[in-house]
Amino acid sequence: MRRSRLFRFLLYRGGQALITAFGVVTLVFFIQRLSGDPTALLLPETATQADIEAMRVTLGLDRSLWLQYVDFLGDMLRFDLGRSFVQNISVWEIIASRIPQTLQLAAGALAVALLIGLPLGLVMALTRGRLISRIIMGIVLAFQSMPTFWSGIMMILVFAVWLRWLPSSGTGTLAHLIMPSIALGLLSLATYARITRAAVVDELAKDYIRSARARGVGTGRMVHKHLLRNSLIPIVSITALEISQLLAGAVIVETVFAWPGLGLLTVQSISSRDFLVVQGIVLLGAFVTIFASLAADILYTIVDPRVRLTGKA
Amino acid sequence: MKHIIKRVLGFVALALVLTPAVARDITIDLAGEPSSLDPHMQWNPDSYYVYRNIFDNLVTRNNAGDIVPQIATEWEQLSDTELSLTIREGVTFHDGSPLTAEDVVYSVKRITNPDFGSPQLGQFNKIADANVVDGNKVVLVTASPYPALMAQLVKLSIVPMKVVETVGNEAFNAAPVGSGPYIFEEWNRGISVTLTANKDYWGEAGAFDSAIFRAVPDAATRVADLLAGTADLVVSIDADAGAQMAGNEAVKLLSAPTERVGYVGLNLDKPPFNDMQMRKAASLAIDRLGITEGLLQAGEVPLSQMASPAHFGYSEDIPLFDYDPEQARAITAANPDLAATPATLATAPVFDQRIVQAIQQMLNDAGFDISISMSDMPTYLGIVRSEPSENSELSFGRWSCACQDADGITYPTLHSDSNWSRVNVPEIDALLDEARETLDKDVRQAAYTKVHQLVRENFYTLPLYQAAVLYGATAELDFEPTANESMFLNRMSAAK
Repeated sequence: MRRSRLFRFLLYRGGQALITAFGVVTLVFFIQRLSGDPTALLLPETATQADIEAMRVTLGLDRSLWLQYVDFLGDMLRFDLGRSFVQNISVWEIIASRIPQTLQLAAGALAVALLIGLPLGLVMALTRGRLISRIIMGIVLAFQSMPTFWSGIMMILVFAVWLRWLPSSGTGTLAHLIMPSIALGLLSLATYARITRAAVVDELAKDYIRSARARGVGTGRMVHKHLLRNSLIPIVSITALEISQLLAGAVIVETVFAWPGLGLLTVQSISSRDFLVVQGIVLLGAFVTIFASLAADILYTIVDPRVRLTGKA
Repeated sequence: MKHIIKRVLGFVALALVLTPAVARDITIDLAGEPSSLDPHMQWNPDSYYVYRNIFDNLVTRNNAGDIVPQIATEWEQLSDTELSLTIREGVTFHDGSPLTAEDVVYSVKRITNPDFGSPQLGQFNKIADANVVDGNKVVLVTASPYPALMAQLVKLSIVPMKVVETVGNEAFNAAPVGSGPYIFEEWNRGISVTLTANKDYWGEAGAFDSAIFRAVPDAATRVADLLAGTADLVVSIDADAGAQMAGNEAVKLLSAPTERVGYVGLNLDKPPFNDMQMRKAASLAIDRLGITEGLLQAGEVPLSQMASPAHFGYSEDIPLFDYDPEQARAITAANPDLAATPATLATAPVFDQRIVQAIQQMLNDAGFDISISMSDMPTYLGIVRSEPSENSELSFGRWSCACQDADGITYPTLHSDSNWSRVNVPEIDALLDEARETLDKDVRQAAYTKVHQLVRENFYTLPLYQAAVLYGATAELDFEPTANESMFLNRMSAAK
């Protein structure tokens, strides 16, 4: 009985994901076409109308919009993102070459956010009401309010230009990863610090903490043994959201530090008018989000059987 | 202890900074990575800064802007439509094979083949045929007399026929083989391109053992790289970024006027600028010197014609436009209703909006009612290339033909046949046709001078300034920027 319900649920959610994916594909196709004729941008200003027409034929843009759309859907079914007009190599090859860098930066930023954000949140909770807590909260808010294009360039000025401790931009060594990770991680750091604080404050009010305190358990042991573990649940669930935030924030950080990830590729492709690459990145982002939410839903039903398998979970 | 750590870190940093100088490498920060390294495909600065060092061109321009031999050692006009070029002997490609007249013909036919789909096709499609004659001569045939041909050949790179035919276009782009002073080493996608010196180069060898071109999109970061000593030369910076370098003796700012012309296009079919007096008032209201020296500050020069001193066809005899806001207001006050006809100024994000806003304010102060219409580039192009009835009243533009010949700028912007032009004056059309159809330099110069005069007298379009290009470099680097924005490594050197 439960098995067939699970199967029905999977089918329903899978169907939903497919419809969403179809919607995204359609939307991306038409929005790209709304922004005008890319041929005009690919050719020099001096190009005549005849040159433009010739280029349209070469690129297949002279066919009717519907024909192009049907072709596009076919390509999507074969996971074919097309060839870049500008670089003349497959879009997938261009995107794939940037994914490792993006993952590295996201991991670096997450490490900064977690390793600094969690302890700060904990200290804020344990010292709440005191001056130290307010000072930390002020600093955390300042981190969150600093625009990354500013904090990034300030870090470069201090650590690369004045002190010359770190490379100013680029990639290649672990040292290159430090500043971009901090610049990107500062945003999430604030979120983690505040969520941790709230979660720990919640836990502190619970009976088991009070009884532990009554038993004379020291603060260090109490935090280590009880508090952290129980406070982790909201922190883990926020991580999934933060990762997508990190990928979005990476556009600016990657541009400032010339970090060759997907964010920088987006900016470069927009400025070089390479619209199939832009389209590929948008689609990749959409598919990753759709897949992640589907996977999370499915995992949730497996992990927590209390979730109703009505398909509307 | 702290003192020691600081010292050690200082030494490490110093060592890191000094290493490149010892190895005589050069690191150049570009705004983006090359779109392609195949010189017959994309044609944008980030691409040609790199591939012009890998390939030789048929001819080139020296730093003074004169066309001088490169692969062609001499050339002769056989008739109005036939040009004979003698191909240099003893030139080898990086794979060791000799560069021949067949490679030259192949290169011409490759870039002019419509099926190949080169974005540069429009620059070379006047070439109807190319043939090898007498073993080491190539004759180029044009459909009609084409005076800008030599200027276009400055950009024609020679590729090895055998290599391209064997590996195919895609593999050739990924690992290009040329005959230039630098050999392609590695393309780290999205990050950098590395070249090494060609020890067997036939011409002047480069001073650097290797060169790294990096993609650093943020101008402030490029300047920071230069200040931190991790880059030797950075491109595409503006005067604000340049100001950060002031007072630092380790770096210097280099600038050169280019052949890009900033201008305001006027719609001559719609009020208010279908009226000559209104056009005159608009011109009088614009403070060109204020724009170049107050806003841009990178060495831009006010212009009185649709050509710059870097173009053939520029005339010294055209006086600069007057700036007289009082007189402008007097003209609009005489016909306030016409002046106050709502008009839009079309622009796109790629242009410097400070200029556009300044122009809007100057015109509105003079009694016009101008609003800015900012749209994405494709929409902007759609507007400025549309029929006059659908076109905006004003548009800001910056024109470069990359050929340094007035034909490349006056024909598209002033001839009624061009979709860019909103000027429809038979006399101007005739002069532009005349200059396009003869190889006689004096006749051409006279025709362009007359065109500039007509535009100046009737305010058919408002030329503003000759754009400049700004580079940041280490104090030791010897590099002379040129109007065609080339960056030849073998014309640079670094003092030890």
